[in-house]
Amino acid sequence: MTKGKKLFAYTFLIIISLISVFPLYWMMVAATNRSVDVTRGTLMFGTALMDNWIKLFGSQNVGTALFNSFKYSIIMTLISLLICSIAGYGFEVFHDKAKDRVMSVILLAMMVPFAATMIPLYQMFSRARLLNSTLGFILPTISTPFLIMLFRQSARSFPSDIMEAARLDGLSEFQIFYRMFLPTMRSTYAAAMTITFMNAWNSYLWPKVIMSDAKSITMPMLVANLTEGYVTDYGTLMLAVLICTIPTVIIFFLLQKSFAEGITGAVK
Amino acid sequence: MIHSKNKLSLGQKQSRAGWTFLTPAVLLIAIMSFLPMIQALFLSFQTGIGNKMKWTGVTNYIRMFKDPVFVQALKNNFIYLIIQVPIMLILALVLASLLNHKDLRFKGLFRTAIFLPCATSLVSYAVIFRSLFAVDGLVNIILMKLGFLSTGYNFLGHPNSARVVIILALIWRWTGYNMVFYLSGLQNIEYSVYEAAKIDGASPVQSFFRITVPLLRPTILLTAIMSTNGTLQLFDESVNLTNGGPANATITMSHYIYNVSFKYVPNFGYAASMSYLILFLVAVLAFVQLKVGDKRD
Amino acid sequence: MKKKIASLLLAGAMAASLTACGTGAGGSTGTTGDTKGEGAKASNELTVWCWDPAFNIYAMNEAAKVYQKDHPDFKLNVVETPWADVQTKLTTAATSGNEDSLPDIILLQDNAFQKNVISYPDTFKDLTSSGIDFSKFPKAKTAYSVVEGKNYGVPFDNGAVVACYRTDVLKEAGYTVDDFKDITWSKYQEMGEKILAKTGKPLLSCQAGESDLIVMMLQSAGGSLFDKDGKPSMVGNDKLKKVMETYASLVKSGVLIEVNDWDQYVGTLTNSTVGGTINGCWIMASIQTAEDQSGNWAITNMPKLEGVEGATNYSNNGGSSWAVTSASKNPDLAYDFLSKTFAGSTELYETILPKSGAMATYLPAAESKVYGEPQKFFGDAPVYSMITDFASKVPSNNTGVYYYEARDAVATAITKVVAGGDIDAEIKNAEDTVNFAMGK
Repeated sequence: MTKGKKLFAYTFLIIISLISVFPLYWMMVAATNRSVDVTRGTLMFGTALMDNWIKLFGSQNVGTALFNSFKYSIIMTLISLLICSIAGYGFEVFHDKAKDRVMSVILLAMMVPFAATMIPLYQMFSRARLLNSTLGFILPTISTPFLIMLFRQSARSFPSDIMEAARLDGLSEFQIFYRMFLPTMRSTYAAAMTITFMNAWNSYLWPKVIMSDAKSITMPMLVANLTEGYVTDYGTLMLAVLICTIPTVIIFFLLQKSFAEGITGAVK
Repeated sequence: MIHSKNKLSLGQKQSRAGWTFLTPAVLLIAIMSFLPMIQALFLSFQTGIGNKMKWTGVTNYIRMFKDPVFVQALKNNFIYLIIQVPIMLILALVLASLLNHKDLRFKGLFRTAIFLPCATSLVSYAVIFRSLFAVDGLVNIILMKLGFLSTGYNFLGHPNSARVVIILALIWRWTGYNMVFYLSGLQNIEYSVYEAAKIDGASPVQSFFRITVPLLRPTILLTAIMSTNGTLQLFDESVNLTNGGPANATITMSHYIYNVSFKYVPNFGYAASMSYLILFLVAVLAFVQLKVGDKRD
Repeated sequence: MKKKIASLLLAGAMAASLTACGTGAGGSTGTTGDTKGEGAKASNELTVWCWDPAFNIYAMNEAAKVYQKDHPDFKLNVVETPWADVQTKLTTAATSGNEDSLPDIILLQDNAFQKNVISYPDTFKDLTSSGIDFSKFPKAKTAYSVVEGKNYGVPFDNGAVVACYRTDVLKEAGYTVDDFKDITWSKYQEMGEKILAKTGKPLLSCQAGESDLIVMMLQSAGGSLFDKDGKPSMVGNDKLKKVMETYASLVKSGVLIEVNDWDQYVGTLTNSTVGGTINGCWIMASIQTAEDQSGNWAITNMPKLEGVEGATNYSNNGGSSWAVTSASKNPDLAYDFLSKTFAGSTELYETILPKSGAMATYLPAAESKVYGEPQKFFGDAPVYSMITDFASKVPSNNTGVYYYEARDAVATAITKVVAGGDIDAEIKNAEDTVNFAMGK
């Protein structure tokens, strides 16, 4: 890039970044202020962080909520990556007319608003005695058309000559998947992991319907608890929201190198 | 099963392996999504309050087109879809290819910053967007300083400007999300391809359209289908930013379906039939997108 | 080499996840069974859903303490559940016919009470002959939870409307709070205009697109959006028309400013953007977060409509009541608990008032000394006994089943009227919308 173009690129990126980061900054500011100062629109860091912290941890079970959220999200992410990447790989590498058709039918599964299928799903889960359980939390969204399609689309760039060579070497189809495909697709796995973790971490509607036990509370449910009531304490609320946001951001920051500067050039 | 010695041709063997690979995922989707969807389909031909339902045929499907709020919501969804999705996807593509440059510094920070919005909790972002666009909010202050306005404009109080705010919010929230997929898709393109193009005298714009876009086609298709689906099922922004107002000018179909199910006197038959209209619309659009974009060369 | 390690790690993580799933899921399903079993067996335990730790959860726990004095082995399990979630869970469980997951007692918003009881009649216990004395509550309050002459709810908090004013702002324009007592809306607007001219502050703010203020004005004159038979009565409803005119005129004069959401509304109060507000008495808790304004607030009754039959200076907004579910394994315990606490203990209300500001609707509590104590924040006035007095004068409101539909329709109408629409035409549209919703 020339100097002028570089300057333009940096300016553009800095402006977009600032706009993107502003709400997080505001959240941090709010978490350190008294509720009344938040409603007065302050943009400066305050001194009420400790008070908000004490109020939050005194009124809500933050430890339990964090533990549950991590437990559900990690289990969900790992299983769903495994199941969906195998399926996406299968759909692409062994594609034929029938499988392409199955793929388009599967896509239908994400097109109905959840509000419509929630009642039948609830009926099913309550009969299976899965209310208030980890399995109940993760099962409905463990296999998603989105992830399957993500892996299907990225498998398209997986070179077929590698597979031919591996088959000649006597590797089984599953061995090819996990020895050849899995490591070369690290960038896709990293992207999928980030997104799946985030979705699991933030999921709210389904958990709130099936979790009615104080012990099963998650972070988004805890945040919702703080927004009800006649008086909202904005400082405390924003501290909770901040705690709820940080894990996803950290995971993204750790994984972004893997999906953006992966193993370019390794696949020939 | 791979080592089984039965006399299958290589093609048949592979096809079998393929089915084995996708069975767990497909089975789960069948039970967790299709089973409830079939029940919802039956429900869409019934009507009643709460759990007292009776069959009515296609009444619900006729009813929704006579329902002014639903028709308004349908229009709103299409306005959002047509304006927001293309802008967002192009912006995400541009950002991804910019951030894929070898000699750019602080890429990790930029990427994290741009991804942040979709990780930011809805609670805080709704509060911020509403206050930014308030009559005495930052946007009005800037516009007044620059001389575009003489008094504060109530952006969320007028139908068109409220829709613009929703579209801006959507772009803000989801551009980084889509960028992630483009970034990961770009890893499969050899960087040397760009260098070769540069030596051949291609401008960055030319290599964007001639190399990046065609090679990312599978990923672009994916994000296009997902965004279409997401926009037609839009719920969060309508509820949290504008609460559907002013006077239902920004309400979405999903928001209305939620109201019919949980805020108003519950009528799940009607809610289910409206949901099936969404399914139909998304399916048609996705089918077209697949026909156009899902080619293997 | 590096590649290999990475792939091993990933594969290892996946294998671990599989086992983790097995144990994790198994473990928690096991515990579910246990807790369920306990809940069903224990005959001395009740589970309650409500949502505000500073308010109704606190009150519920205090009620348990009161009850435990005579029943030492009584156990109460409060599950904090936001109102929106209470409604979603209730709807989901009742519609799917699996009510086992519901608790013994649920707190319901008064506005949603009839809708839920009529939609799911088998889900709630009829409390009429449960031994709870409903005559100890104002009629306007119990009316929210009465369906077809049967009582389904024990009233809890009070939503009596108060008009709050910034005495320092009034003073700048030469007024005192007494000038605002027992007035009409046109007098209010007249004084409001003067205050606006003098201080630059509007007297009132409210949330655009919400019908709260409209319905408060309407109820203050004994008007409703529905008639006695539950049919919408908007077209030809003189009271509603007068309310719309009053509202539009207030907005036009600048005395009433509309903001876009709740946070901004609270902001106008704590920021000193406005010189007062009119809302359910629970708004006082939000006002009091601005500690630096202590002593500068005062309350009185709200303005009344003019030229309308039955107009008063009293109304109601919000409030909630306790319901007993049919899923309850110990309904008799639930009845006894409620009748000896929320419907029978002045002591309970005396305890919860100072700490939570939870205003009772239980009439005998009003005579308690605690209610008559002067409150420093509100210029040393005995605001709690004033509110209880207001509450006893509130006219009834026919909420009906389609109350939320009607409120939204009216909110849409007023938005269009403020934007220049014709009042009669918009009222007609609102009634059509409600009729459409009712035509199954």
